[in-house]
Amino acid sequence: MEEQTSEKTYRIHLMVCAGTGCVSNNSFAVKDALKEEIKKQGLENEVLVVTTGCNGFCERGPLLVVEPGKIFYQQLTIKDIPHLVEEHFLKGRPVEKLMYSPPEDKTPIPVLNDIAFFKGQVLIALRNRGLIDPEKIDEYIARDGYTGMAKALTEMTAEEVLEEVKQSGLRGRGGGGFPTGLKWEFVRRASTNNGGIKYIVCNGDEGDPGAFMDRSLLEADPHSVIEGMVIGAKAIGAQQGIVYVRNEYPLALKRLNIALDAAREYGLLGENILDSGFDFDIKVTRGAGAFVCGEETALLASIEGRLGEPRPRPPFPAEKGLWGQPTCVNNVETWANIPVIINRGADWYHSIGTETSKGTKVFSLVGKINNTGLVEVPMGISLKEIVYDIGGGIPGGKEFKAVQTGGPSGGCIPKEKIDLPIDYESLSEAGSMMGSGGMVVMDEETCMVDVARYFLSFTQDESCGKCTPCREGTKEMLNILTKITEGKGTEEDLTLLLELAQSIKDSALCGLGNTAPNPVLTTLKYFREEYEAHIKDKKCPAHVCRELNTYTIDEVACVNVGKGCDMCRRNCASDAIVGEKGKAHTVIQDKCIKCGVCYDVCRFGAVKVD
Amino acid sequence: MNNESFEPKIVGFLCNWCSYTGADLAGTARMVYAPNVRIIRVMCSGRVDPQFVLKAFSEGADGVLISGCHPGDCHYQEGNYKTLRRYKLLNKVLEQFGIEEDRFRLEWVSAAEGAKFQHICNEFTDQVRELGPLNLNGGNQ
Amino acid sequence: MMVNIVIDGKKLEVEESTTILQAAQQLDINIPSLCYHPVLEPYAACRVCVVEVLVKGKTDVVTSCNNKVQEGMEIQTASERALRARKLNVEMLMARAPAAEPLKEIAKDLGIEKTRFEIEDPDEKCILCGLCVRACQDVVGAEAISFVERGKNRFVSPPYGEPSEACIGCTACAYFCPTDCITYEDIKGRKVIHSELHLGPETAIRVPIHQAVPMVPFIDEETCIHFKTGECKICAQVCPKDAVDHDQQDEILDLEVGSVILATGYKQFDASRIAPYGYGHLDNVLNGLEFERLVNASGPTGGKVKCANGEEPKAVGIVHCVGSRDENYNEYCSRVCCMYSLKFAHLLNEKTDAVVYDFYIDMRCFGKGYEEFYHRLLEEGTKFIRGRVSEITEVPLTPEEEGRLIIRVEDTLLGALRRIPVDMVILATGLEPSVDHNKIAKTFNISCTQDTFFLERHPKLAPASTFSDGIFLAGCCQSPKDIPDTVGQAGAAAAEALALADKGTFELEPITAVIDEDLCSGCQMCVNLCPFTAITYNKEKGISEINDALCKGCGTCVAACPSSASHQKHYRDEQIFAEIEGMLIE
Repeated sequence: MEEQTSEKTYRIHLMVCAGTGCVSNNSFAVKDALKEEIKKQGLENEVLVVTTGCNGFCERGPLLVVEPGKIFYQQLTIKDIPHLVEEHFLKGRPVEKLMYSPPEDKTPIPVLNDIAFFKGQVLIALRNRGLIDPEKIDEYIARDGYTGMAKALTEMTAEEVLEEVKQSGLRGRGGGGFPTGLKWEFVRRASTNNGGIKYIVCNGDEGDPGAFMDRSLLEADPHSVIEGMVIGAKAIGAQQGIVYVRNEYPLALKRLNIALDAAREYGLLGENILDSGFDFDIKVTRGAGAFVCGEETALLASIEGRLGEPRPRPPFPAEKGLWGQPTCVNNVETWANIPVIINRGADWYHSIGTETSKGTKVFSLVGKINNTGLVEVPMGISLKEIVYDIGGGIPGGKEFKAVQTGGPSGGCIPKEKIDLPIDYESLSEAGSMMGSGGMVVMDEETCMVDVARYFLSFTQDESCGKCTPCREGTKEMLNILTKITEGKGTEEDLTLLLELAQSIKDSALCGLGNTAPNPVLTTLKYFREEYEAHIKDKKCPAHVCRELNTYTIDEVACVNVGKGCDMCRRNCASDAIVGEKGKAHTVIQDKCIKCGVCYDVCRFGAVKVD
Repeated sequence: MNNESFEPKIVGFLCNWCSYTGADLAGTARMVYAPNVRIIRVMCSGRVDPQFVLKAFSEGADGVLISGCHPGDCHYQEGNYKTLRRYKLLNKVLEQFGIEEDRFRLEWVSAAEGAKFQHICNEFTDQVRELGPLNLNGGNQ
Repeated sequence: MMVNIVIDGKKLEVEESTTILQAAQQLDINIPSLCYHPVLEPYAACRVCVVEVLVKGKTDVVTSCNNKVQEGMEIQTASERALRARKLNVEMLMARAPAAEPLKEIAKDLGIEKTRFEIEDPDEKCILCGLCVRACQDVVGAEAISFVERGKNRFVSPPYGEPSEACIGCTACAYFCPTDCITYEDIKGRKVIHSELHLGPETAIRVPIHQAVPMVPFIDEETCIHFKTGECKICAQVCPKDAVDHDQQDEILDLEVGSVILATGYKQFDASRIAPYGYGHLDNVLNGLEFERLVNASGPTGGKVKCANGEEPKAVGIVHCVGSRDENYNEYCSRVCCMYSLKFAHLLNEKTDAVVYDFYIDMRCFGKGYEEFYHRLLEEGTKFIRGRVSEITEVPLTPEEEGRLIIRVEDTLLGALRRIPVDMVILATGLEPSVDHNKIAKTFNISCTQDTFFLERHPKLAPASTFSDGIFLAGCCQSPKDIPDTVGQAGAAAAEALALADKGTFELEPITAVIDEDLCSGCQMCVNLCPFTAITYNKEKGISEINDALCKGCGTCVAACPSSASHQKHYRDEQIFAEIEGMLIE
C-alpha cells in the first residue's frame, strides 16, 4: 500500500471518476493523459490526480471534479487534456466548453453543486462519493471513517448500538424494507445451536437488470460497508461476517479485498479490534450467476455450497440461517448507512425522510431520461422532482409516460401519479415497490406490454425452478405476453394472464416468484388500453412491437418533399419498396418484414408507421 | 536265485486314522492289488521311529513304505510333519548304507483314498521288483 | 402445549408443533399434495397443498405441509384464492408431466379435465417433486443425485449425467418416487422374476421367510443404508415400540460342552455354473428351491405356477442331475432330486394344464412308497425322456419355437436328438455341503471324504459319529439324504451324545505314552513336539512328564526320544520290532 499522504500540500486535486461506467468509457486513459500532461507542464508538485469511485453522473462520463471549488468537467477525451491542463491548471482559466450545460439552455454550469443533477441529492450512503480514492484507507479515515466503529466498540454497549439503529428508523435497502434495528434485535435474541456462532451477511448480489447502486458503493467506498458490518456485529454478537458479491462485479471484488486487507493491517478488523476485546472478521464469497441468489435463503444456501434455491420461511435466517445459526442478512446500502447513524446519532437520521421511511435512498436513474446516473435522495421526494429536476427531463422533448421502480419485482407508476412521494408505503400502495432502487423512465415510445414482457422474460430465465407457480407460471405468462406482442393475443388470454398473475402472487415460494407478476399487474392496471390495442386492433401504439406495425409511404410527401430520393428502396432488406428515382415510392405489404429501416432512413418524414 | 520269480517283501507302516482306513477301504471295495506290502499299524505316522525302518531292512525287507494323513489333516495335528522330516534325513542315512532311495517311500493316503493305496502298492511293488532283492545281510534265503 | 384452531369451520385442539396438513388429517380433511412425504422434511415446492389462513387479523395463502398452526388460526382448505392457486398449479403440472398418475387423480378430484397449457412431452412423468433427491441426500446420505439446471429446464440427474460413484444402489429414490418415473436395473442385466425369490432387491430390514420362528424382522447389514452412510434409520423412527436397535452387536458365547452334533446341512448346487442351462440370465429357468417357493401357498404367487410374464406355462421341463452324477461338477448322486422332481411333476399336473417333461438318467425311487409314486406319475401322463439335457436356449429355429425355451436333449430310448419347446424349466439341482463347510471341518478337526461331505467313523457301522470322540454327525453334512433318513440319523446322533453324557464315566485311550523316570535324561526334546502340550518338564526332578489325560497317543515323542525313555503303551518299540520280524520271516 503506497503512502500517498505526504507533507506536500497540493494546490489542486483532480478527482477522476473511476467507477465502472467511466472506466469502460476510458477514464483510466484520461487519467494517464492528465498525469502526463501535468508532468509535461511541470505541475506535478502542485496538481494531484486522484482516482475516485463512481461520481454518479454516469451519462456524462468520463468525469473530472477539480478541487477546491468543485469545478465539474464531463465527457472528457484524451484530446481535450492538453488544452484543459494548460488553460485551467496552469493559467487558471476554467474551460467552459468541457463543462456541463443543460440540454435546453446550453449555458455551462461550472460548479458541481449548481448542477440540477447534483443539487437535489442528499449524500449519506454515498457520502464519500467522488472525494476519496477507494483503495486508500487513510483517505476514508480522514473523512471520519471508522470513528463510528470506534465509538460503538469503545464507548457504547451492544444494546446501546442496537437501540440507536432502531431509533434511527433505518429500513432494509435491499427491497424488503424491513426495519433494520428490529431484525438485529431478532438475531441478537436468538440462540446459537450446538455451540456455534452468529453470522453477519452482506448481500451484494445486486441482480436487478440495470441496477448498479451496490456496485458503485462497493467500488467507491468499500470501507463504509466494512465499518457498518463491524458495528452490526457488535450489536448482534456475531463473530463472522461474509460479503456475498456477484461474480460479475470484478472491480468491486478487487476493491473490497484491498479494503479488507488494509483494515486488517490497521487492526480495524480481526482479533481484538481497537483493543476492545471484540473479535470479528469478514470473508468474501462470490456468486455464480443466479439472480435468485439475491433472495436471502438462496444466498445462504449458495454460501454453504448447496443448490442455490430458496427454502420456505419460517424458520427465518434470524433464527436459523447460515449453517443453522442465527444470521443477519442486510444489503450493501443498509450497511453503508450504519457508521453515519452511529456517528451523527439516530435523531439526526430520523429527521430526514417521511413518517414511515427515514433517511435517504440510492436510485439508479436510467431509461428515457437526460441525466442517467446514480442519485441519492431523501425519502419523500416526489417522483416529479427526480424525473424533471434531477433527471433533467425526457430527451428529445418526448412525453413522459411512466416510471418502473423496483426492477422486475416492481411496477409502473403512470404519469398521473407523478407527484407521488417516494417512500416504501406509497410505492406499494400504487402497486409498485421500492425494490433495490432501480428507476427506469419511459416515454411515449415505450410499449408497456413489451416492458411487461421484457421483465417477465428476465424472471422466467432466472427462476430457480423449485416451485410450480414460478417455474411453470412465469413461462405461461411469458408465452401469453409474447403472443400479444405478436398480434396473436385474445381476450381469453388476458383473463388467463390475470388469473395466472394472481395465483402466482399467492402461491409462489419466494420473493422472485411472488413479485414476478407485478410488472404485468401494474401495466394492466394503468395501461390496459395498450393491451386492448394489441389484442383487438392488432396494433402497438408505441410502434415497438414491430410485427404489428404497418409501414406506408405518403406518396405526396415523397415526391414533393423528398423528390423521390430512393433512400428507402435502396436500404430495404426484403425488396419490399418499389419506385423509380424521382418518382413516388410504395411499400409492398406482403414482402415487408417490418424491420423499420425505411422509417429510420427517410429524412423527409414520408414513411409513416401505424 | 531266480530274479523272475522274485517277489519283493515290503513293510508298510500305516497310520491308524487315514492310511490304515484307506487301505481298509480298498479292501472292502474289493480292489485287487499286489500282496507284497505287509502292513504294520501305528496310531500316527509320527510314531515311526527311524529304527523301525532300519530294522525292517535288516530283517529282509526289500522296500519300506510309510503312509500317513495328508499334511494338515493329521489326526494328531502335526505328527505327519515330523515323519516328513525324519524321512528326508533317513533317506540320506540309508544312502550311506548303500540302500537305494527308491526302496524307501513316504506317501500320504487319506481315509477315502482306497484307490490311491491300491495304486501305490502296485507301483511300489513293481518298482522294488525292478530293483531286485536288497540282500542286506547277504540274503536270508 | 395445545393450541386451538378452526379448519373449514370445524374447531380442533392440537399440539403446538403440528403442521396445518397434519391437523387437517386429524379431521379427515384431505388436502392434496405431491411433494410431501411423512418421513421427509417438507419441501413446499409443488404448491398444491396451499390453503388460506387468517391469523392475527391478516389473511395469507400458505402451504400446509410445512407451516405450523398458531393459536386462533382459521384455516380454509378450499377458499377461492387457495383453490384458484391449487387448480392452476395442478393444471400447469399436467402440461409438464401428463403421464404422472397421482397428478391425474388430483386433477380429477379438482374437476380439471384437461390442461389449457401446451404439452411438450406426453409421456413425461417427472413432476419435479424432489422426493428422490431429498431421500438420497437426507435419508440415505449418499447425495448421488440432485436437481440440475435452472427454471423450466430443471431436472434430476447424477453429476454430469453419468452414473455416480456415490450411488450405493439402495433404490430409495425409486421407492420414494410417487410417479414411477425412476427405474433401476441389475448391472448384470438379470431380470427380476419374483422379488421373493431373491432375484431382485429386498428391503434391508425384513422377516427372512414367511415361516420364520420367531416371526421377527432382522437387519441385513450388507444392504442396510445406515451401515453404509450412517444416515437413514427410518425403521427406528416409525417403530411404535422402539424395538429397532442398530447398535446391537454379535455376542460371542463361550460354552463348555461335552459333545457336539454337527448338523450344518447342505447348499444347493449353483446352477449358474452350468452355462448352457442359462440359469441366471434366461427368464423362467428356476432351480429346485425356487420352484418350491413358487408353488408354495405362502409364496409370491400364492401357489400359482406363473412365468415371469404372469402367464401359466403351457409346457414345463424338469431336468434331473443338475450338478450331480457329473464328472465336471459332482460325481456323486444327490439322492433326493429324483423324488422331488417327481413331486414337482405331480404338482404341475395337479395345478396346471401344462405338459410336463421329465429328463432323467435313472429313476432313483429307493424308499418306501417311492416306486409306487413314480408309477402314479406315469399314469398321469408325464412325459419321461431318458437323456441328459445338453442345452437350454431361447434361440428359435422354427416359428413354433419363438418366445419359448428350447430344451436340447439326446433321447437315449429313441436314439434321437430332440428339441423340446417349453415355457418353464426346473433344474433339479443337487446337494453340496454347506457354505462354510471347510471352516467347520478345520475347527472341529473333522476329515472330509472325496465328495467333500464330512467323514463318518465307519460307513456301515458308525454313520453318525466321527473319529473324534464326542463329535457326531446328523443330516446332509455327512451325505445327501432326504427327510426320513435325516430324522433317523439325527436320532442316532442324539442318542449317542446323550449316552456319552449319561454314562457318568469316561473311557480314556489306553494307548497313551509314558516316560520312564530312570531313563529320561531331561533333554526336553519331546516337550515341544507334543501337539497336545501333554508333556511338561519337571524342574525339581529334572525329567519330563506326560499328562495322561491330555495325551492322545500319537507316539511322536516316542519316536523322537533319544534315550527310549518315552514309550507308548501297546505300541512299544519291542512290539513293533517283533511285528517286523514276524512279518519278514519268509
